[in-house]
Amino acid sequence: MIDVLTGMFVTALLAGGVLLLGALGELIAERAGVFNLGVEGLMAIGGVTGIIAVANGAPALLGMLCAMLAAAAFGCVFAASIVLLRANQTLCGLALTVSGGGLAAAVGQSYSGHPAAAVFASVHIPLLSALPFLGRAVFSQNPIIYVIWIILPLALHALLFRTRWGISLRAVGEDPAAADASGVYVLRVQFAAVVAGAALAGAAGAFLTLAYITSWSDGITGGRGWIVIALVIFGGFKPLNMVLGALLFGLITALGFVGQARDWPVPPAFLSMMPYLATIACMILPPLLARQKRSRFLAPAALGVPYFREQR
Amino acid sequence: MAKSWASSWAVNLRNIQKFFGSFFQKRTASFLLLPAPGRWPLLISRLLSIATALIFGGIVFTLCGYDTVRLAVDVAQASFGDLFGLEDLGLIWSPLILTGLAAAVALRIGLWNIGGEGQFYAGAIAATWVGLHVQAPAGIALLLMAVAGFVAGAAWILVPALARAWLAVDEIITTLLLNFVAVLLVTYLCTGPMRDPANAVTAASAHVPYEIPPLLDDLHWGFAVSVVLVFAVALLFGRSVWGYEVRVAGANRHAAEYAGMRVRRRLMQVFLLSGGLAGLAGMLEVAGTVHRLEGGISNNFGYLGIMVAALAGASPLAVLPASFLLALLLNAGIVLQSYGVSKYAVLALTGLVLLSAAVGERLAYYRLAPKLASAR
Repeated sequence: MIDVLTGMFVTALLAGGVLLLGALGELIAERAGVFNLGVEGLMAIGGVTGIIAVANGAPALLGMLCAMLAAAAFGCVFAASIVLLRANQTLCGLALTVSGGGLAAAVGQSYSGHPAAAVFASVHIPLLSALPFLGRAVFSQNPIIYVIWIILPLALHALLFRTRWGISLRAVGEDPAAADASGVYVLRVQFAAVVAGAALAGAAGAFLTLAYITSWSDGITGGRGWIVIALVIFGGFKPLNMVLGALLFGLITALGFVGQARDWPVPPAFLSMMPYLATIACMILPPLLARQKRSRFLAPAALGVPYFREQR
Repeated sequence: MAKSWASSWAVNLRNIQKFFGSFFQKRTASFLLLPAPGRWPLLISRLLSIATALIFGGIVFTLCGYDTVRLAVDVAQASFGDLFGLEDLGLIWSPLILTGLAAAVALRIGLWNIGGEGQFYAGAIAATWVGLHVQAPAGIALLLMAVAGFVAGAAWILVPALARAWLAVDEIITTLLLNFVAVLLVTYLCTGPMRDPANAVTAASAHVPYEIPPLLDDLHWGFAVSVVLVFAVALLFGRSVWGYEVRVAGANRHAAEYAGMRVRRRLMQVFLLSGGLAGLAGMLEVAGTVHRLEGGISNNFGYLGIMVAALAGASPLAVLPASFLLALLLNAGIVLQSYGVSKYAVLALTGLVLLSAAVGERLAYYRLAPKLASAR
């Protein structure tokens, strides 16, 4: 039993880590008022870039870096269209999802199905890894796990809520005209936020293919980019709440795997549905139970609205 | 003579300099942002942006070492070369018309139905089930299958629609996530309860005994039904009070409520219609083309329908040309596969077309306003 729980927790940290990494990136963009629906495509690009880099002899960490650069490049195109040209954010996000996924599948055709040439190796921390439950679940993982689950959320929280830069970013997301009037370069902040968020989405993709599933195949992202967007809303646009949300989603995914491994009398297809259904439930239940549309007020006020200085 | 020629050049150069100077320095003054784009600028920018995306895609293919011109000729030949190719094009075109119409209908009230893929599958499942279990004359059975497909598609969007109408839950994510659920459901049904025991090779349901009669050789009456539905929906939205209320509710929800319109009810009706149309597309695909339920039956039609609606700009009639363009792109994908290129490359190209169309649409909002500075 304890073995099952440990295995479940290991999977949850990996599966949830992918989501958390992507969600933190999405949060940066959304806090700056940009609704990036292209996470799915960016994750696919990051995933395939990581696999290709690793196949050409790069270590896993360098592969992740390449993935971040590739996704950031696509983020630049996206940001140029929606921030500078003010094109429709929903349309451009969908376009990014479709073209990113298509491009990744086309480029990664010859890598499909092979195991990744290098993966993030797990590091056994002396003493701590000998602990009964946490030892295997937490202290025998690859070190990136700590960056994703502890360092990055704390850093982002500090950045958003404790620095000048963070308040500028949030101001741009809440009221770009006021931010503009007080001397913040609205478009520059939005552009930077979108590109940084895209880089994190790329990192999430690389984490998916190099640490969690450790191979590439078409459609490997499997809707995770959309769950990421739901996770940002579920986490109330706060990085630390999103950590708990990601852990919950990770555990639900892991539960499906446990069910398949232990031959529960539920068809595997239904177990695989659980993350999607749980996400929908997580979107619907809070407003249903709260009886007030609180979640709407949690979102940045200018989310998804392009900023025209002329229309102040 | 020569001198005046030279001086006129100098004047021209100075004018060009002035023009670009104003372009870069007084950017806000040299463009007018229109509240709504004109009809012609919108059409021109749309065509230009599609052309731009296709040319860009062609350049990328050329850089990758493929003969783009031959590819284009091949696509044209495969689509228009003979009646056979034309009918095949029609077979791809008609589901795209319906899924595109489904997304366009939701856009009329300003919302996105990204779940066309799932509703397509739901419609296909229900139609297959009815087709396999109902014993009736072919006409009645087909009608029942159509009703089942429509209802199943509408049922598949019910929860996202309710959540959107009463809880303001983002419909994009909920409709999209149900796509994955539908795909898994089809996988389950095709490997489990609905699997044809006689077919050991592929996971698919048994052959549905009822077929839509052919319009030509391969092309079936489903195509005609799709086109007629486009006109019916265009009439409904363009010429009825109901359609007017939907448009007002989409443009300004509060104004619509203030005017006494039942916004939530309209929203539900529009969403159910949207889901039903996508479900009907699934039914037509089962009864007209594939004749059984199997994994990849939707062929991305649901997702491509979103592009159709985006290109058509929520106008039901414009769905016809937009879906034709995407049918051609899908055909290009099939030709590309014979070159050994992944079929997903064409998905990247469609994404590019969409991005370019979105940018082009915004550019149609701008107008050069050279006299603005002097008018002040």
